[in-house]
Amino acid sequence: MIKITDLEKYYATEEVRTIALNKLSFQVQEGEFVAVMGPSGCGKSTLLNILGLLDDPDGGSFIFNGIEVAGFNERKRADLRKHNIGFVFQSFNLIDELTVFENVELPLIYTGVKPAERKKRVDEVLEKMQIMHRRKHFPQQLSGGQQQRVAVARAVVNNPKLILADEPTGNLDSSNGNEVMDLLTELNEAGTTIIMVTHSEHDAKYSHRIIRMLDGQKVTENVLSEYKSKTLEV
Amino acid sequence: MLRNYFKIAWRNLLKHKGYSAINIFGLALGMAVTLMIGLWVADELNFNAYYKNKDRIAQVYQTQTYNGEIGTGTAIPRPLEFVLRQEYADNFERIVMASWEQPMTLRVGDKVIGQTGISIQEEAPQMLDLQITQGEQNPLKEQNAVMISQSCAKALFGTEKALGKIINVNDRDDMMVTAVYEDIPKNNSFHSINFFLPWKHYITTAHWLKNAADQWGNNSFQLFVQLKENADLAGVSQAIANIKHNKDANEAQFEPKLFLWPMEKWHLYSRFKNGVPSGGRIENVWLFGIIGTFVLLLACINFMNLSTARSEKRAMEVGIRKTIGSTKNQLVRQFLVESLLVVFFAFALAMGLVLLFLNAFNDLASKAIDFPWSSPVFWVTALVFITLTALISGSYPALYLSAFRPIKVLKGTFKAGKMAALPRKVLVVTQFSVSIALIIGTLIVMSQIEFSKNRPIGYQTEGLIQIPVMSYEFVGKDDFMRQQFLASGAVMEMATSSSPSTDIWSHRSGYNWESKPEEFQEEFAYTEVSYEYVETLGLKVVDGRGFSREFATDSSAILLNEAAVKYMGLKNPVGEIIRQGSEENPTLLRVIGVVEDAVVQSPYEPVKQAIYVFDRYGNASYWNLRLNPDQSAGENLAQIEEVFTRNFPNSPFTYDFVDQEYAQKFDEEERIASLAKVFTVLAILISCLGLFGLASFVAEQRTKEIGVRKVLGASVANLWLLLSKDFVMLVVMAILVASPVAFYLMQQWVQKFSYRTDISLWIFIAAAFGAMSITLITVSFQAIKAAIANPVKSLRNE
Repeated sequence: MIKITDLEKYYATEEVRTIALNKLSFQVQEGEFVAVMGPSGCGKSTLLNILGLLDDPDGGSFIFNGIEVAGFNERKRADLRKHNIGFVFQSFNLIDELTVFENVELPLIYTGVKPAERKKRVDEVLEKMQIMHRRKHFPQQLSGGQQQRVAVARAVVNNPKLILADEPTGNLDSSNGNEVMDLLTELNEAGTTIIMVTHSEHDAKYSHRIIRMLDGQKVTENVLSEYKSKTLEV
Repeated sequence: MLRNYFKIAWRNLLKHKGYSAINIFGLALGMAVTLMIGLWVADELNFNAYYKNKDRIAQVYQTQTYNGEIGTGTAIPRPLEFVLRQEYADNFERIVMASWEQPMTLRVGDKVIGQTGISIQEEAPQMLDLQITQGEQNPLKEQNAVMISQSCAKALFGTEKALGKIINVNDRDDMMVTAVYEDIPKNNSFHSINFFLPWKHYITTAHWLKNAADQWGNNSFQLFVQLKENADLAGVSQAIANIKHNKDANEAQFEPKLFLWPMEKWHLYSRFKNGVPSGGRIENVWLFGIIGTFVLLLACINFMNLSTARSEKRAMEVGIRKTIGSTKNQLVRQFLVESLLVVFFAFALAMGLVLLFLNAFNDLASKAIDFPWSSPVFWVTALVFITLTALISGSYPALYLSAFRPIKVLKGTFKAGKMAALPRKVLVVTQFSVSIALIIGTLIVMSQIEFSKNRPIGYQTEGLIQIPVMSYEFVGKDDFMRQQFLASGAVMEMATSSSPSTDIWSHRSGYNWESKPEEFQEEFAYTEVSYEYVETLGLKVVDGRGFSREFATDSSAILLNEAAVKYMGLKNPVGEIIRQGSEENPTLLRVIGVVEDAVVQSPYEPVKQAIYVFDRYGNASYWNLRLNPDQSAGENLAQIEEVFTRNFPNSPFTYDFVDQEYAQKFDEEERIASLAKVFTVLAILISCLGLFGLASFVAEQRTKEIGVRKVLGASVANLWLLLSKDFVMLVVMAILVASPVAFYLMQQWVQKFSYRTDISLWIFIAAAFGAMSITLITVSFQAIKAAIANPVKSLRNE
């Protein structure tokens, strides 16, 4: 599903040029759950941003679903993104002015789903995330765990093929954290590909494979559980 | 999607109530000012809208040259009418001669009222399309007819039918009401006229009127025309230009030129300089139009500044929306919807403000503007206005906010850089430049008025009243009434004059004197007066003496003012003989005295050369009465009224205080000054609202920095300085921008007054000082609040 080859990304200020990704290459199969680990500044968030089509690489190739997307313009990226990718952030990133229902509804609005269909799908996903009873609340009225459940609900409401999670449990206590990890596992088992950046060895164990990075490069790759790919070729 | 936009906009407004209040209120103030000015401008532009034929009605104007100086006026000679009717009839649908409008007495039984009327030819009602509610369609046909307005009918007859009733005019003529017409609304020429008399009657009332029929030099009438449907005004104007010049060899020396001035220009383009149209009220329309636009711009700038200053708060939302799949365009639309919502609320509030203050505004601007509830034009304009304001104020924030890169804001590394504040600073400088320029402009207008008011005017207007000679009853009773008034004890002295003491109604030429240069085309301001004129008005005699009953020869004496002495080039004016009329058979006038120049016309212009001639034929238009200073004005007036009504029971007692009449000369400029003051205050208020909001955001943004500095030992004063400094710098820049611009523009403005103030430096210093103080007060509130906050709190917050 994802194939990156010699991916490069630099950040330049007036004096220094920092290499964030240094000829990074790997593949992710559809249905896989991959954890990316590494110390701060190793480039994992940069990687996630590129994979999430929020940023474009300075070099190398990025094939998403068989299409070369490196070099896509903002508009094309946004289009691809909203139909295929869901995001879960450490700090939840819900919009404070919108209710739980409205936050989850937002991606459907942007993909042009009709109101009746939207309501049905939001209700379904809220039910699944067990947050239905809070649908009219605003984010500040919820606990951290609940907020992250809403964020996950928002990430999956469009049935994306890929979920990118950036330290999804970073702001949560362990029990809430485990709940969120269980949710992600469930989603993965239902067929969604997940790439998760984390510092937590505990969370990483939920994945099939851990990619460890340092200085913008992949250093090791451990396969935790055998994953049978549905499509072997990307 | 749109619903979602509105929802989030609405919740944002509610969530940040203080910010929303500043934003909406500031914008509403700006919009209210613009709305008010818009109504005023529309009112000015719609002047004479009552007249259906207004695009075809014109008045005949005349220019004449005296000593190279071209004067323009509406007074024309009577024979012009006949020539137009005989030789140029093809061009005109209607030709209407008229007298000057004049206050007259109307009496029905015991009821006497003073009203303004005009004598006019019979086609006037059709030309003006007056709405006749009772009576015939050609009401001025008969010589003894009178056509009165509804309000005049009501004043005279109450609810009784006026038609067919007899009204005694000026205690002499009995006229029959042949029609009642709907009052002409305020915003129109002829509005002040309450009744029309037939021209046929007018020309029989005095000998000189009959004689005027073939006098090309007697410019004592008005002539209105209505052009034929397809006639070309400029062409006709051209065609009639030289009629007078060609008809009368004697008049040709003054190079008379006639032209048509269309009704549409009467109100806004009434000024002529040296024979050339040179604007008029249209300049005020432009001036206020520009002020209105600027004030709205100030309010829009507030909106932009506050929105972009809050950008860090909105950045997160932008980031999320983009991540989820929003395009930049969708975000732009979202922010525009937000500004539309704010502008809509602001407009509603602005309408409320306008309704609340419309009466006060009408008083201030001397208008009768109604809120145009039922005008579709207004609502369409309002809609365009709202959209435009939303676009102007919303576009920059929308583009700015929607351009945020999601990764940066979501990572939390987003900080608006130094450059991000630059446009905001430019906007603040713009805002304050406009405000400061307005302050300077207003101060200069005020100082020009003050300067002209303080000008020595050469006579005493206080304690002086003038009674218009309205009725034929008064004629020939000047001396008798003087005795009566003096005996009452309320009056110290009385004299008559042929013009009010605050104006000149007549200009004359045809005078010769010993040292008069060849080819000199003289013209004098001309007033006929009675014996005690100098004493009554308090004119200062600088040479010779005033008129005196002790010298029988004074009936052929004249007084000159100082300007006239200079104008005529006289070395020893007293005793000089001036010959009037033809060289073969002149009337000899002896100069007996010179009086100080009296400012009777424009207080902004130099005093014109004037002659005061003894009134031998009873041409008094006014009785001037010097009140007894030892009694109150009330007592004096009561006694005068008693004497007056005892002698003229059929005439209403009307009078004017001369000082008030004089003060009216400043009305126009004072009106501009008061409007300018109001708009300036509002502009400052709007700018300060914005500054206040901006200061609070800056203080909020720098909370941590302030905390750290405090922990390190900064005093409240240090911090206040830190936070205020930036704003003070912006205002200093605004002062530097505004001062030269304002100086240049106001320099142009004062040029239109011959008697004008110098633009002094203190005005700029005062404006700068004022702007700076207001800035400091506005900013300091936030700065000190931030500076005295407990640093532990702000540091823990991080």
